[in-house]
Amino acid sequence: MSDSIAEARGVRKVYDTRGVVTAALDGIDFRVQEGEFAALAGPSGSGKTTLLNMLGALDAPTEGKVFIDGEDLSRMSSGELSDLRLAKLGFVFQAYNLIPVFSARENVEFVMELQQVPAAERRERALAMLAEVGLEGLGDKRPLELSGGQQQRVAVARAIVGRPRMVLADEPTANLDSETAARLLELMGDLNREHGTTFLFSTHDPMVMEAARRLVRLRDGRIVDDSREPSV
Amino acid sequence: MIWRLALRGLARNPRRTVVVLTAVAIGIAGCALTISINSGMAHQMVKTAIATELGHLQIHAPGFDADPELRILLPEGGVRASRALEDESGEGGDVRAWAPRVQGQGLVNSPRASVGVRVVAVDPEAEARVSAYAGSIVEGEWLGERAGRAVVGADLARRLRVDVGDKIVLSVQDLTGDLTGRAFRVGGVFKTASLAVNQSTLLIRIDEAQQLFALGDRISEIVVIADSDRDVAALRDQLVSSLGSSAEVRSWEELQPLLVYLVNAMDQMAWAIYGAVFIAMAFGIANVLLMSIYERTREIGVMMAMGMKPVRVVAVVMAESLVVTAVGLATGLGVGILCIWLLRDGIDLSRYAEGLEALGVGSVIVPVVRSNDLLAPAAMAVLAATIASAWPAIRVATLRPGEALRRV
Repeated sequence: MSDSIAEARGVRKVYDTRGVVTAALDGIDFRVQEGEFAALAGPSGSGKTTLLNMLGALDAPTEGKVFIDGEDLSRMSSGELSDLRLAKLGFVFQAYNLIPVFSARENVEFVMELQQVPAAERRERALAMLAEVGLEGLGDKRPLELSGGQQQRVAVARAIVGRPRMVLADEPTANLDSETAARLLELMGDLNREHGTTFLFSTHDPMVMEAARRLVRLRDGRIVDDSREPSV
Repeated sequence: MIWRLALRGLARNPRRTVVVLTAVAIGIAGCALTISINSGMAHQMVKTAIATELGHLQIHAPGFDADPELRILLPEGGVRASRALEDESGEGGDVRAWAPRVQGQGLVNSPRASVGVRVVAVDPEAEARVSAYAGSIVEGEWLGERAGRAVVGADLARRLRVDVGDKIVLSVQDLTGDLTGRAFRVGGVFKTASLAVNQSTLLIRIDEAQQLFALGDRISEIVVIADSDRDVAALRDQLVSSLGSSAEVRSWEELQPLLVYLVNAMDQMAWAIYGAVFIAMAFGIANVLLMSIYERTREIGVMMAMGMKPVRVVAVVMAESLVVTAVGLATGLGVGILCIWLLRDGIDLSRYAEGLEALGVGSVIVPVVRSNDLLAPAAMAVLAATIASAWPAIRVATLRPGEALRRV
């Protein structure tokens, strides 16, 4: 428990859409250890993104509890949850979700701005991070001026630059060609090895499953397999 | 960061921003213009009443307020009041001018008609300093040294079917109750902004009226004009203290409470209209912000996921609203003030002159700008924008980031 960064205990999540009740998660017990490079896999509707959202303090479970660094999220206010996400978590989304009115550099700076990092340091770190993800010289481009792969690399840089303990990446390679996806995975693997950042993916992509050192399979909102030596 | 996000958010859809901004600007400019025209009308009503009948203050004999009859008179030509006014005039004093009057009722006969009139008897020279009669002569001339001359309102002249030089006979009941009369020649015709005055007022010299009404040296009232509108209350208090119980001193507001009520009612009616404009403006802003936020829900979800606090999201939305309002406000006030300046010579409403004269307003209305009339709508606009933005802002800030991210 001491090196567990995130934990779900008996988590159940039910969506009620105009009277249609769907159980997205059905009693999940799951723990993410510090430094893991893990993937949640399963068919659409199996609950991967929902579990990722619970562990990322983006959503609250209908039943059960979620802990980040031993802290019970259900006892925290929305402001405290914001602080927790800011300090400990980074996110990469399937659709990149960059802020369109900001340049690539400003997108990367955004988290540091929230962390109140001084402007000069912010700029320096953002440019260094963009260089690290292979986007040197593209800092002033707006998201729409970048390719999908470049946008996703900006998203990774944004997720990493605030020095989070854990990065939650929802289908990070879904919109990328295989070559770009491979480069991105390599980049995240390097960050995991060099900085010890924990990565948790949700994915359909066999390439991500292969790269992950732990593979958790979900079906109908339940964990059906949790393997540390994945074989796809 | 909040202002940067707000400004970039507004710049994202310039057409929509310009539409809202224009709506705010038109609302503010329209309000500024209507307020100034409304104030101009009210100002003119008061000015006309002061310039024709009321003056700033009137001094009467005790009891006139309760029973305004001819028999309630100031003795010795109002000498005591005149001395008090003398003390208040000149260097450092609040009195600009004053004039004695005799007021009574009578019947005027011309060769063609008979009309009941209000007789206002004046000292021609002094009256010219306190009222607009002398300056409102449209035919003939103002009263002077020549005896037996009368000046009549333009509508009264029309009713009597007389012109300058025609003979009329004024019949009155004097102080002793006897019916008496005297012939006058129409020396001049005046036309003020007040229909009531033009229809029923006949002016003669005060010495002739004193003789006609058998008043001796007594007078009905003294009309006083203060140095400025602001000095009236202080001057009234000063005169009340100087004259004690020997006379009644009343301001134009006390003499014509109906006029005060009318001016206040005009103000209140205008504020009701402005209220409606601002409510419409608030809904317009709220609608645009809601649309803008609806389109950006996912993006706001991302920012919240990154660690942006709900209160900051509220601040961004409110900042957007304030920027639009501030620019719209500045533009609207600029346009409004420009329109008021362009109309500085007045708006010619001579087509509706008769209706306006019935209200005591001339056919040319000059907009009047009071600082409060511009500051109050500005404050209301900011308040409306804040309230309008609070609704969509709180709506989006209460979303969980996961919920916002699920929105398409």
